[in-house]
Amino acid sequence: MENNVVLSVRDLVVQFTLRGQVLTAIRGASLDLYKGESLAIVGESGSGKSVFTKSFMGMLDKNGSIKSGEILYDGMDLAKFKTEADWLKIRGHRIAMVFQDPMTALSPLVTVGRQIAETLELHQGLRGRAAKEKAIEILRDVGITNPERRYKQYPHEFSGGMRQRVVIAIAVACNPEILICDEPTTALDVTIQAQILDLLRDLQKRYGLTVIYITHDLGVVASVSDRIAVMYAGDIVEIGRSDEIFYDPRHPYTWALLSSLPQLGERGEDLFAIAGTPPNLFRPIKGDAFAPRNPYALKVDFQYRPPYFDVSPTHKARTWLLDPRAPKVERPKNLDRIREMGGFIHE
Amino acid sequence: MLKYVLKRLSAAIVSMFIVITVVFLLMRLMPVEGYFGGRADSMTEENKQRILENMGLLDPWYEQLLNFYNDLIHLDFGRSVTLQPNTPVVKILGKKLPYSVGFGLGAIAISLVLGCSLGVLMARRQRGFWDKIGTGYIVFINAVPPIVYYLMIQISVTAATPLPMLFNERKPLSFVLPLICMALGPTANYAMWIRRYMVDELNRDYIKLARAKGMPNNKIMVRHVMRNAFIPLAQYLPSTILFTISGSIYVEALFSIPGMGGLLINAIQKQDNPLVQAVVLMYAVMGVFGLLLGDIAMAICDPRISLSRKGGSR
Repeated sequence: MENNVVLSVRDLVVQFTLRGQVLTAIRGASLDLYKGESLAIVGESGSGKSVFTKSFMGMLDKNGSIKSGEILYDGMDLAKFKTEADWLKIRGHRIAMVFQDPMTALSPLVTVGRQIAETLELHQGLRGRAAKEKAIEILRDVGITNPERRYKQYPHEFSGGMRQRVVIAIAVACNPEILICDEPTTALDVTIQAQILDLLRDLQKRYGLTVIYITHDLGVVASVSDRIAVMYAGDIVEIGRSDEIFYDPRHPYTWALLSSLPQLGERGEDLFAIAGTPPNLFRPIKGDAFAPRNPYALKVDFQYRPPYFDVSPTHKARTWLLDPRAPKVERPKNLDRIREMGGFIHE
Repeated sequence: MLKYVLKRLSAAIVSMFIVITVVFLLMRLMPVEGYFGGRADSMTEENKQRILENMGLLDPWYEQLLNFYNDLIHLDFGRSVTLQPNTPVVKILGKKLPYSVGFGLGAIAISLVLGCSLGVLMARRQRGFWDKIGTGYIVFINAVPPIVYYLMIQISVTAATPLPMLFNERKPLSFVLPLICMALGPTANYAMWIRRYMVDELNRDYIKLARAKGMPNNKIMVRHVMRNAFIPLAQYLPSTILFTISGSIYVEALFSIPGMGGLLINAIQKQDNPLVQAVVLMYAVMGVFGLLLGDIAMAICDPRISLSRKGGSR
């Protein structure tokens, strides 16, 4: 997977205008996505993980726009795209998306089969019977039994898990290179969650997809992702292979995030919670955005924004703690238990 | 589906039966003077009694009621008593209905096309040019009493163009103004509802998914947004179409169209019992069937609604 970058984001800044005020949702984030990998983007609500990926598809809300930076894909800079016609070359066709809530993601008046078939017509030039046969084949691929009969049914005749399979089928029907899964299991029963993740992993192999998972569920992350990017306040603060992030986290925010795993809690004691609230993105942020909530913050954290420091060729973090001049700080002891828990990662 | 329709039909017949009975009895409570056509003072008591007897109004009320039912079953609506004495009611209605229905359907067709297009234009760019124009129009139509702009249109347009002021069956040009007047109001309403429903739909998740799968905006509008937005309208459309039968009082009076507008009021004032009963029966049928057809139309448009018990798996 190395050196085979399919999508490269450079210093992306995304802003929204809300009631005359400017909110900077993404503050100069950069990311390289490698072919065939599965990358998880984790972070708390409002950290900008959804907005970040939506900007790859031109799906930002009307009041949002890319202020600066580049999104390089297949020789194009998507950040420069303005018109609908530009985006139609990308949307679905090259980059597809799976949404969070399958209950509302399908049009209630159109049969499930038709919704898949119309995607095939858009992107694979299939018509009529050919589109129908292909749609049935995809329905079978996403694990829907009796697809010939299901093809003719409407979304309300499907359960939540089945609908999410259909939403995934629609995304796959585009035959995209990159699949963005925005909290694909959040709205589902726990028992269904595992099935959907299995399905996504299976499809990734079968269709050769590069997958981005957006989630705040570290359990999901551990079971599906090759690499993890940790987002905080519109920036990627740490990125590395899954084992590096889980076993050798370097950014204090990653420490805090992992510490709040319920599995690390002691019986009878309160679970860990990160003190304070995320910064107000309406105002410019000086220094490290996490500094005010960070018990390990240095003076410099309040003054200058840290650059990325390489921990290994595949692992880097944006914290002054990695500067050679910084004092030695030990990460919280309880995080070592993640390694003991073993099976937690990659089953 | 068939079972549901039959069930609703029988309920409809029962409610029409009740309506017509109440109306029949109410009409019998009115003072009898109305039947003598303003000549009551100069008539002898004997003459009055004879007239009433000829009308069958001196029979006990339950006999009158039974006779009335019997006639209805044989589709005999009786003859007009005072408005156009001795003309069969069916003939009076038969003459007036085509005008009202013709103009009504024409106006609905025009307003559906114009109203829906305007609504779509408004929804596509909220706060854009068309949205502002449309909002102004809708506010005007709803704020100003129709008779005001009807008169304005009639006077100013006929002054500026060779369009005739009054309706004339032989001159198709004279149909134009009444049609425009009748279409103005419904156009505003259709535009308002279509816009509102479409804006609701535009924010749905499935529209986002359609966008994410690379569907062009125009196709999304037609295939997903408009289809979904039209469902609430489908329910009211049959009622609206049926109610054209009642005619427009203002427009028909203004352009002297010999339609149904005002017929019921005239008939009640003159105590023309058979005519009142027939017209009320017609309205009852319209109301009940309008709702029934609306439900069926909605069931056809929306697969989530299943009128039969089976099916509908949740």
